[in-house]
Amino acid sequence: MYDNLKHTVLLGTLSAGLLFCATIPVLATTPEHQERHFNVKGHPVVVLQNIVNGRIEVKSSKNSEIIVGSTAVADKVAIDIEQVGDRIDISATSLATSSDPHEVEANFQLTVPEQTELQLRTQTGLIYVEQVNGDMKLQSVAGDIHLKEVSGYIIVKTTSGSLVCTQCGGKLEFNSISGGAQVLQPALTGINLMTVTGNILYDGDFIRTGVYSMNSGRGLVEVRFSGNDSFDLTTKSLSGTVDNQATQFLKPDSHTSRKEIRNYQKHQGTVGQGLAKVELSSYSGTIRILKRD
Amino acid sequence: MHCKQLESVLEAEGLGPLPVEAQQHLAGCQSCQDMLADFSTIAITAKSIPAEMQPPDRIWISVRAQLEAEGIIHEPVEVLEHSSRLQGQSEGFWQNLSALFRPRNLATVGVGLLLAVGAFLQTRKNGPSIGGPNDTTGTKVASSTPPPPTGLVPPTTASKVSLPSPSEAGVTLQQAEQDLPNIQLAGNSTVDASLRQSLRTVDEFIAECEYHLKMNPQDELAREYLYSAYQQKAELLAAMMDSGRSEH
Repeated sequence: MYDNLKHTVLLGTLSAGLLFCATIPVLATTPEHQERHFNVKGHPVVVLQNIVNGRIEVKSSKNSEIIVGSTAVADKVAIDIEQVGDRIDISATSLATSSDPHEVEANFQLTVPEQTELQLRTQTGLIYVEQVNGDMKLQSVAGDIHLKEVSGYIIVKTTSGSLVCTQCGGKLEFNSISGGAQVLQPALTGINLMTVTGNILYDGDFIRTGVYSMNSGRGLVEVRFSGNDSFDLTTKSLSGTVDNQATQFLKPDSHTSRKEIRNYQKHQGTVGQGLAKVELSSYSGTIRILKRD
Repeated sequence: MHCKQLESVLEAEGLGPLPVEAQQHLAGCQSCQDMLADFSTIAITAKSIPAEMQPPDRIWISVRAQLEAEGIIHEPVEVLEHSSRLQGQSEGFWQNLSALFRPRNLATVGVGLLLAVGAFLQTRKNGPSIGGPNDTTGTKVASSTPPPPTGLVPPTTASKVSLPSPSEAGVTLQQAEQDLPNIQLAGNSTVDASLRQSLRTVDEFIAECEYHLKMNPQDELAREYLYSAYQQKAELLAAMMDSGRSEH
């Protein structure tokens, strides 16, 4: 009887121990969610340096506070958040040893006032910003960047990540090696897009007096304009092709009279009064010009 | 007395009582009267400006954010609000300065300098614009007169600075690239693969542009793309070095 009881207790203890040991790694690898609130005044600045993988999502609210939500495995990623006046500094760094392949992740969800300046940087994972007005610098190595209804002086730099900018206002600068850029329904007064192998799509109106420059080394540069637009168009292509499907809307350029000596193809034309300036160039890719229905 | 002589008198004696000859000239010269009025306005306005102006906090915040973004500082540094605090922190300043000259940081700084040269070259080609090979927001003074062939770029008369030719820039970047095998990257397979693939892509594109320029030295568009590719390569190398450094 006593032996049986002893055996049962021992078995129970062993089972509990095994269960505990099995739970520890699970707990250690389960991402933890944290949320912190910071009161701010005026136009705050958020600087987020995510040195590990992960998604950054930024949305706005009417409140004068910044909410930083983060999800990461506690013993693999160190998340530091500091407030200095109206600036919030956030950083996520890996705690893994340098010899290990560390595919660790930290995901952020930020809620900021509508008028906020952003400086966000991540390695992989999406950067998503919605309804924020303020200058922003967004950098990613392999992650894509999606912007919706944002405005300000927007600088986007990626190595291979692509940009999708929907209903953006202000000025946009994009620089990438293999990432592409899609600018949809914009209200931008100036853009400068540059990629080596990525594709560029601009689908929207050109604001009068705006300057729009789109350049791709080997990719496709496609512009879809509306019949109400007014812009001067210049295309330059070294060894690529220019697919102009809107020749009937393009009048011969009336603003340039100087003859140039050049080794590349150059086409010029004017839509409407030619108020905006649009320059498209490609080294060996295709330039396509379309009029929207 | 002529206008030039009056200018010399003003330069030598300031806005004090003027000699009779100068006063006589001034009485009949509207242009000099306007100039004197402007000088007086400037002098009065200058007196109303405080002797020392404290830069706003946002300047320090921007400086710090930029230094952090470039990986030059990592530890939290309090915003410097008063110049008196600078003295107490001079030791920290020297520590930061010495950290700047550690080999890997030096490499990053070197690539940064290359970037600056690249940006300068691009600005020289495109005028004061935000960049890009096709940007026309600035004045294109240099673009209508293509620079001489590779290796023969003369010093500019204005700055007397000799700019690197495309081949020189390419060699400098290659030297920076040779250091890369010694640098362990982030250890993140996706990021490492992306960085290395992008380096191959930009190298191929540079080779293509350089070959084309060798055949057609006057090709302005190819030259613009080449400079742009150099700039991108410099930024990529900086990112790769930074990626390795941030993990150690």
